[in-house]
Amino acid sequence: MSHWIRWTVPPAIIASLATPSIAMQYLSVEQAQKAVFPDATQFVIAHIVYTPAQVAAIEKQSGQKVRTRGEQVWRAQAGAQLLGFFIVDYVIGKHLVIDYAVGLLPDGRVKQVEIMEYRESYGGEVANRDWLAQFAGKTSRDRLAVDTDIRNISGATLSSQHVTEGVKRILAIYDTCLR
Amino acid sequence: MTPACASARRARPLLGTFVEVAAYAAARPVVDAAIEEAFQALAEVHGLMSFHERPSDVSRLNREAADHPVPVHPLTYRVLEAALELHRRSAGVFDVGVAPAMEMLGLLPRDGGMEKPAETSAPGSESIELLPECRVRFRDPGIRIDLGGIAKGFAVDLAVATLRRRGIWQGLVNAGGDLAVFGPGLQTIHVRDPRDPSRLVCEVAVRGEALASTGGRFDPCRAARSGGLAVIDPRRRRPIDGIAGATVRAPSCLIADALTKVVVIAGESAITLLDHYDASALFVSRDGDVRVTSSWREAERRAA
Repeated sequence: MSHWIRWTVPPAIIASLATPSIAMQYLSVEQAQKAVFPDATQFVIAHIVYTPAQVAAIEKQSGQKVRTRGEQVWRAQAGAQLLGFFIVDYVIGKHLVIDYAVGLLPDGRVKQVEIMEYRESYGGEVANRDWLAQFAGKTSRDRLAVDTDIRNISGATLSSQHVTEGVKRILAIYDTCLR
Repeated sequence: MTPACASARRARPLLGTFVEVAAYAAARPVVDAAIEEAFQALAEVHGLMSFHERPSDVSRLNREAADHPVPVHPLTYRVLEAALELHRRSAGVFDVGVAPAMEMLGLLPRDGGMEKPAETSAPGSESIELLPECRVRFRDPGIRIDLGGIAKGFAVDLAVATLRRRGIWQGLVNAGGDLAVFGPGLQTIHVRDPRDPSRLVCEVAVRGEALASTGGRFDPCRAARSGGLAVIDPRRRRPIDGIAGATVRAPSCLIADALTKVVVIAGESAITLLDHYDASALFVSRDGDVRVTSSWREAERRAA
């Protein structure tokens, strides 16, 4: 029969465990492309720059504010045949930045959503523009997702609501700009 | 000698959270195929047991099972069997039938259809009847079920079984903190402080085990704080107080997931049930008091 023990955490451990900044890299753009469309032979850049009318249409359909001037889109092709659209997007909030990729089939149905990079930070860095600068051009870097700096986290359940909303906005982008 | 080894770690939004799958095998194609299949298993559980999605087994049961027996997928049936056994063994503390109380408190969305008033005397799991051939009937029209307290753990177990079947010798599946690891290696898990998710309460080393936590939901996009515990005391139909969060390690993630709810509700009296399921636990009180079971210490020694 077990019993309960009061657990006193050594002060040194508490200090080392305070304010974690959690960073996970799962996939580079190229890796994500292969993961979402393994049969594609080429990814043709088809980035979008919104017109004001498109911004209005996307915001109306998704119920969300458009915060970027455009979207990074690739046409996934097997030879000349269109397999779908590969889109890289991010969500950003108070303590969090997530880069994720969405694969859409040619008819606009979601094929797959992959998290590419996850960064959680509690020093206010996420809101800082300089800190954000490291993300500029992030998608052109071929960074390998290696098994370092990886943490397995348990505890309060992280909501993925913001990514779900992001995917909804991407569906509105499809209807407005890609269909 | 280092064996030829390929590994990958992926994350997708599923089950309302981020689900991570990590796998090690001899060759890359084995890893990729196994991870894909593991995510399919997770998505299947999500599709069957989501409270929110209309075509799910859970939604169909909540709409129709009070009127007539409803056939469900064998996986859903298995989870219900486990849920009812936990209900019985925990003297009603674990209860998948508390959805009306959770809806009333705004912890779950109400379904769009007709409203059945949620009363404090609402029936619980005891009115769920499991019939042959995977059919389910509710004896009381007032009951609605939510498998949120157990399905995530089950999904993790299913994904782990999938990975193993596909030749993965070591791996991890983590559904937003409900996780299981397998293989010879020791894996370190960081447990968030349920009172402040930006801090960690401890590190745990696990090998061939599952670990689950309950400590509110949080969205670092919006705030650093977690919301209250989305756990209802089925006997009082109210959110629990006193305990901020609990972590349970157990042989399976379904058991670990379910027992976290029992520990935050029943506190120290959960010990007999923990022993029964060969599980150990840690809980953090609102005042910062941390307690572990003696079996938790033993499990740590065993893993190391």
